[in-house]
Amino acid sequence: MTLAQRGRWVTFTGLVLLALVYVRALVFTPTEATQGLAQKIYYIHVPAAVWAETSMIFIGLASVFFLFLKDPRLDRFAEASAQVGVIFATVVLTTGPIWGKPIWGTWWTWDARLTLTLLLLFIYLGYLVLRGAITDPGLRARYSAVIGICGLVLVPFIHFSVLMFRTLHPQPIVLKPSAPSLPGVMLVTLLFSFGAFTILYIGFVMQTYSIVLANETRVDG
Amino acid sequence: MADGVASLLALDVPQNGGYMVAAYIVAAVILVGYAVSLYRRSRDR
Repeated sequence: MTLAQRGRWVTFTGLVLLALVYVRALVFTPTEATQGLAQKIYYIHVPAAVWAETSMIFIGLASVFFLFLKDPRLDRFAEASAQVGVIFATVVLTTGPIWGKPIWGTWWTWDARLTLTLLLLFIYLGYLVLRGAITDPGLRARYSAVIGICGLVLVPFIHFSVLMFRTLHPQPIVLKPSAPSLPGVMLVTLLFSFGAFTILYIGFVMQTYSIVLANETRVDG
Repeated sequence: MADGVASLLALDVPQNGGYMVAAYIVAAVILVGYAVSLYRRSRDR
């Protein structure tokens, strides 16, 4: 079985799990009293945000190692992870404003967390545009590695922006030093969703990596 | 009495289910759309 075929199965599994997350979140998880049903957006928004940031961390690390090792697999992985990162960042930046409208009364505000997340999406897009613009493989890999490392530096600022600046965005209630302040049933739904998004990320990257590899082979051939 | 309290509590919960439905549909369209595009891209090779 090829990497693309395995990736297809992993993606299919991830989509089935995502459907189960929808059922659990919408039917079996209680409605939060102060925010109402809009709070349930949290179960897709947060895992997508975690993977939008983690994907950039992986790109940054792969870029650092690429600059030392010159292994093309690291460059290919970084490109695949960037394509998938755009998808998760788009989910974050669409579900976030849909939650913000009923809770904050506005779709968007130039809050530190929101603005830095938008910058993350622009770094992803810049990374992919740069790769499309440079034909020399060695140069393309080196230049895009530099952007990948810039993205890696940005991620801690995104995560800690709610602590570093006065912001509208809620403080972390799970990824924080003390115990999660989320009721057990909601935490289980969130972790289940995080698992589904993790499998989707793996499946997406496996398929995208095989497409990137095939495109390279076609160009070389 | 109990019904009255329940209806008062229900009134206090914001009625914003439409936003939740919209967010879940948007997320599904993006994720399933990307999965389909990957399937088609790998089939076209």
